[in-house]
Amino acid sequence: MSEMWINMGPQHPMTHGLWNLRVRIEGELIRDVDPEMGYLHRGIEKISEDRHYNEVITLMDRCCYVAGLAWEHLYIRAAEQALHVDPPERAEYLRVLCDEFQRLGSHLMWYAAFVQDLGLMSPFLYGMRDRDLVLDLFQSYTGARMTYEYMRVGGVRNDLPPGFTASARKVLDWLSDRFREYDQLCLGSTIFRKRCDGLGVLKGPDAVHHGVTGPMLRSAGVKRDLRKDRPYAVYGQLDFDVAFADGADVTARYLVRMEEMRQSVRLLRQVLDWLDRHPGPVIAEHLPRWLGAPYAPIGLEGYLLKRNYPKGVGFSAVEEPHGEALAYVVNEGGEHPYRVKFRSPVFANLSAARTYLVGYHVADIPPIMGSVDVCVGEVDR
Amino acid sequence: MSSATLYSVSYDLSHTLLFALGGLIGGPLGRLLENGDLVTGIGVLVFAALLLAASMLNTIVLIWYERKLLGRFMDRRGAMHVGYAGLLQNFADGLKLFRKHTTRPREADEVGFYFGPTAYLVTSLMIFGILPISTGWNSGPMPLSLLLALVIFSFAPLFIFVSAWSSNNKYSLMGGLRSAAQMIAYEVPLLLAVVAVVVVAGSFSLTTIVYEQQNYWFWGPLIVALIVFVAAMLAEMERIPFDLPEAEAELVEGWNTEYGGMLFAFFMLADYLRALVGSILIVLLFLGGWTLPTWLPGSLTAWPLAGIFWFMVKTYLVFGLFVWIRASLPRVRTDQLLRVGWNRMIPLALLSVFLAAALVTVRCVPVFGCVPSPGA
Repeated sequence: MSEMWINMGPQHPMTHGLWNLRVRIEGELIRDVDPEMGYLHRGIEKISEDRHYNEVITLMDRCCYVAGLAWEHLYIRAAEQALHVDPPERAEYLRVLCDEFQRLGSHLMWYAAFVQDLGLMSPFLYGMRDRDLVLDLFQSYTGARMTYEYMRVGGVRNDLPPGFTASARKVLDWLSDRFREYDQLCLGSTIFRKRCDGLGVLKGPDAVHHGVTGPMLRSAGVKRDLRKDRPYAVYGQLDFDVAFADGADVTARYLVRMEEMRQSVRLLRQVLDWLDRHPGPVIAEHLPRWLGAPYAPIGLEGYLLKRNYPKGVGFSAVEEPHGEALAYVVNEGGEHPYRVKFRSPVFANLSAARTYLVGYHVADIPPIMGSVDVCVGEVDR
Repeated sequence: MSSATLYSVSYDLSHTLLFALGGLIGGPLGRLLENGDLVTGIGVLVFAALLLAASMLNTIVLIWYERKLLGRFMDRRGAMHVGYAGLLQNFADGLKLFRKHTTRPREADEVGFYFGPTAYLVTSLMIFGILPISTGWNSGPMPLSLLLALVIFSFAPLFIFVSAWSSNNKYSLMGGLRSAAQMIAYEVPLLLAVVAVVVVAGSFSLTTIVYEQQNYWFWGPLIVALIVFVAAMLAEMERIPFDLPEAEAELVEGWNTEYGGMLFAFFMLADYLRALVGSILIVLLFLGGWTLPTWLPGSLTAWPLAGIFWFMVKTYLVFGLFVWIRASLPRVRTDQLLRVGWNRMIPLALLSVFLAAALVTVRCVPVFGCVPSPGA
């Protein structure tokens, strides 16, 4: 069969979202690939310029639909720096709680989608079943399962409901039992190893060169995790290890994500213990008056506000489940951010597709792209 | 053993009907109806109609069975809402597909696009006319029924390829190519495994093969052939470890990407018909067909429809095994599949033929007892 281009996407079971992978194939071999993004662009950065600082949080949930809280955390940190607001310590712990539960939820979703791409049907449902427990926890303290709108400039919206830590511990116990089962279903299967070992190789130098971050980078033997290298929130006070592997292939990425989930459980146990012992306020007491207001003060009041409030620039870097996300918020005074800019980790991971896809088979595309863990919401923003 | 078989029932039905009609009309025209040949002919037609209805019904129940079983494997309950425990869900699904408009891509080849699925379904249905489900099932002895069944079974890749190619879609074409490569690669070990059975049974007739298993079933002494046969059958059915032609992760739906509505239902039905045929063939060739082991009390088979009952129980258990495999294994890759097919399965199948020949020569195996002389 001669060479031909096929479009895998924008509507294709492999994409897990709305993007297009153009593939030039010769028989079953991949000769060239060309990822096309932009089908889900909603202009989130531009819309943010027209919103109050707290209203942007709503957009962050839509930015990445499997890791909304991590993106809220990313934006909030930059916004607080720009606005010169300090959150109370309990709020920081609550944010880490959100982050790590979100990592569990996101990785479980990744696990489900990844094994489904390989044709494993039961683990897909096991992953979704266990992710539901995490979503139930989110629902119990944020009120939502997907679009949480939980964090606020200066803290978080509300404290945990009574009995939350007990039920959270129960979920963690259940999950740490399940990880063994996941490994048996995947690593214990010869077909799985045959489909994943030595596939989609992205070596460390290439990964760094393409700006690849997160589990994909750590699976290439580069031990970089913002939570350790540049601790934010309260990660510096918590005890955990950076998950990494040397294989640089699909199996290595699987191993890294599995280990990350175990480390998340470990972190969460410490956070839950701390939260049990240290009650306190969850939002800063002295906030700019207009931060919580539904409408911006106009006229003279608005003018004075704009003139008097200190200006500033905020930058934050957060280890999101998919990789390193960066945010930049410019406060030129007033109730809206002047400029908001995000760096999406998945965009960089996807852009390197040619490096880790060319030379493999068409049937290898789903497991390789599955191991990248694509979330198009944050790619296109 | 059963006295009333499907064929005798349809013959009696035709006989009663024609003679009643003949008596009603009377005269020479009425006597023309009371003709033995005509009764036989109409009886065969009634038999075919009943068989069609039974196989279709079984297929739909099979889909329900798979859905429920898969549900349990996946920690959920499967279809629950239409009918008792979701029994009517598939009828509702079928009705939905039946009502849908059939669309054909403008660039698709009209003849191939409609001919492919239709021929696929029809050939899959034809096999049921050959398979004996219990004693005296068929109208007459068929000395080469096994061969005929396998020949019709192996028509499928042709029709899949025709419909894939005529869809004028790259995914369909790739799926069709994979399907053809896979089915041809696994046809060889499948037939070699069957040869092992034929060597021991000494006959190509399915009925004779079942009678040869009265004392011991073939799965024990021919375990290698059984393994090869089950694996090759999985590939022929295109079920999960080997479902690359319709690997939805990369090929959308593979060769039936462009099909919707009733034409899709044709493919779906034919797939499950072939799965049913595969399970039935395993029961016939290796699991003693409608017989039960002699050490079980005879009362288990002493009632009219016992043969059919035990046959269906075995068939559904075998299909349950396929569902179990589907629930727990990932999909292999095309090159891996073909490599396993040519490099592992064919030598294994040849070994099974050799073992069968050795068995016939030696006659007695320590654990499994003695083989009667072929054709006895």
